[in-house]
Amino acid sequence: MHFAFDENQLEFRSQLRALTDKSCTPADIREAWASERGWSPSRWAALAEMGVLGLTVPENYDGLGLGLVDLVLLLEEAGRSGLPEPLLETTALAVPVLRDAGGAGAEQRRARWLGAIAAGDAVVAVGTASMPAVPGAGRADLLLLERGGELHAVEAAATRQTARRSLDGSRRPAEVAWEPAPATLLASGGDAVGVLASLADRAAMGTGAVLLGVADRLITMTAAYAVERVQFGRPIGSFQAVKHHLANALIRLEFARPAVYRSAWSLDHGDPEASRHASMAKALAADAATGAARMALQVHGAIGYTEEHDVQLWMKRAWSLAAAWGDAPTHRARVLERILGAGGH
Amino acid sequence: MNVVVCVKQIPDPAAPQALDPETRTLIRQGKLILDDSDAYGVEMGLQLANQAGGDVVTLVSMAPNGETSGLRTALAMGADKAILVSDDALRGSDALSTAKVLAKAIERAEPDLIIAATESTDGYTGTFPVQLAELLGLPSITFAKKVTVGDGTVVVDRQTEAGYDEVECPLPALVTVTAGVVEPRYPSFKGIMAAKSKPLEQLTVADLGLDASQVGAAGSRQEVTDVSAADERKAGEIVQDEGDGYEYVVRFLEQLKLI
Repeated sequence: MHFAFDENQLEFRSQLRALTDKSCTPADIREAWASERGWSPSRWAALAEMGVLGLTVPENYDGLGLGLVDLVLLLEEAGRSGLPEPLLETTALAVPVLRDAGGAGAEQRRARWLGAIAAGDAVVAVGTASMPAVPGAGRADLLLLERGGELHAVEAAATRQTARRSLDGSRRPAEVAWEPAPATLLASGGDAVGVLASLADRAAMGTGAVLLGVADRLITMTAAYAVERVQFGRPIGSFQAVKHHLANALIRLEFARPAVYRSAWSLDHGDPEASRHASMAKALAADAATGAARMALQVHGAIGYTEEHDVQLWMKRAWSLAAAWGDAPTHRARVLERILGAGGH
Repeated sequence: MNVVVCVKQIPDPAAPQALDPETRTLIRQGKLILDDSDAYGVEMGLQLANQAGGDVVTLVSMAPNGETSGLRTALAMGADKAILVSDDALRGSDALSTAKVLAKAIERAEPDLIIAATESTDGYTGTFPVQLAELLGLPSITFAKKVTVGDGTVVVDRQTEAGYDEVECPLPALVTVTAGVVEPRYPSFKGIMAAKSKPLEQLTVADLGLDASQVGAAGSRQEVTDVSAADERKAGEIVQDEGDGYEYVVRFLEQLKLI
């Protein structure tokens, strides 16, 4: 199969890049991390206006009704720019759940939330039963929460939250106490199993896409530093040992990229192996990003350990996202299970 | 009101560029992008036109190889339609020859207001807009930092070295806008998708009723005779502040006519 992005998808990316180059500089990220919310409402509004937030929202709710292949480059761009706003959680996780979950009141729920998400007026956080804390819970208007095999949509006002610390200043996790009620039920039984499984796959692919961008930025920053930093009378990038570090990081990134893109395609097209592809994507992208972070720290030397240097903004994101929605070993185990399971051991 | 915005599509300034060793002009192969300085004109045109009230914003451009990428960006920002003049005979056009071609193209759009940038990012001659106005027999106002349209006239705050002049002139007219006149919007994703289906008319020299000998290198009176490297940046002057440092600062800013 020949796989390539079309002109629109590439143009979407280039416009998002133009926006983030201007309004999501390292100084902007630091400001966001230090702020109460962890991100900027004005940048969120700009993302809504551009159409980023409504990308996966169906057209009848003022969205563009597009899929994950259309989204994947934008998630990568979010990673590259260090975007503190919850783009992944909103577009790749929450919107498809609200769009696809049936049950009583599903239509009212869609009307209430999907248009508001596209317009930038509503933020949704997602938490599964295995998560000790829900990322972005404090800034969400609606929380999609799993308990006892059921999925519920709970308005923020009906929850009690205890903030927890995170390495990544934009994630803002919180422990959420809440009571399930018939009115909040989104899916139960077999429906919930299906919705949660596809949520987990989208999360693995989407987190992988953001991690690609994070790895890309770490490599670019480090390559620039290696050209600039002089030791023993030469730029350190001229030493073979440093070149090898950078080259290995780039190779890991270039091998992870097609796996993430393929996963987006498989999820959009209901490929029977979509879950395996999502796990491959997350495992490879997490390795690429944590590998790039380790390499960046090594090449930067002592300055890389400081808060003042920007490299920490992307390293911390690499570490926190690599662990989110299943780390690399977990996803590798899933891939193994799928392959061996299919062969009957 | 019909608003025409002159749009130049240029090689990406972020990519390395080369000069043709024979003509000593910029090689324009490959993808071209919307000149950043024209994004201000497009935004101005969109803000002045009441598109809901039937006003139309038309883009006019001349580019090699039927290149439309930059025009698509401006259409995605919200312009209604575009006219592109592309013809091998136009290769080597100077500013005046370009003005002759675009004058013919612009006449077709029956403009009330023509907007152009002060100068392009790749050519920097800054002469094309006034030549165009002259050929069309229209008044022109350059260096606009604020533009308002009302009742058959255009009122402009025209940037000067000391401040600005308020200038008013009857429509139709041509106005050149400076960078910063407005903040160009980012094309929305809906705009990007809609741009694909907006009317884009492609014209040749013959379509405009011009003869190939009048345009391009054949019709140009300007020639690049020599290219030399820019002077290396000189080292700055270091002033020891002994309590009178501010005087140096004031004098320096005065030299630059900033105060």
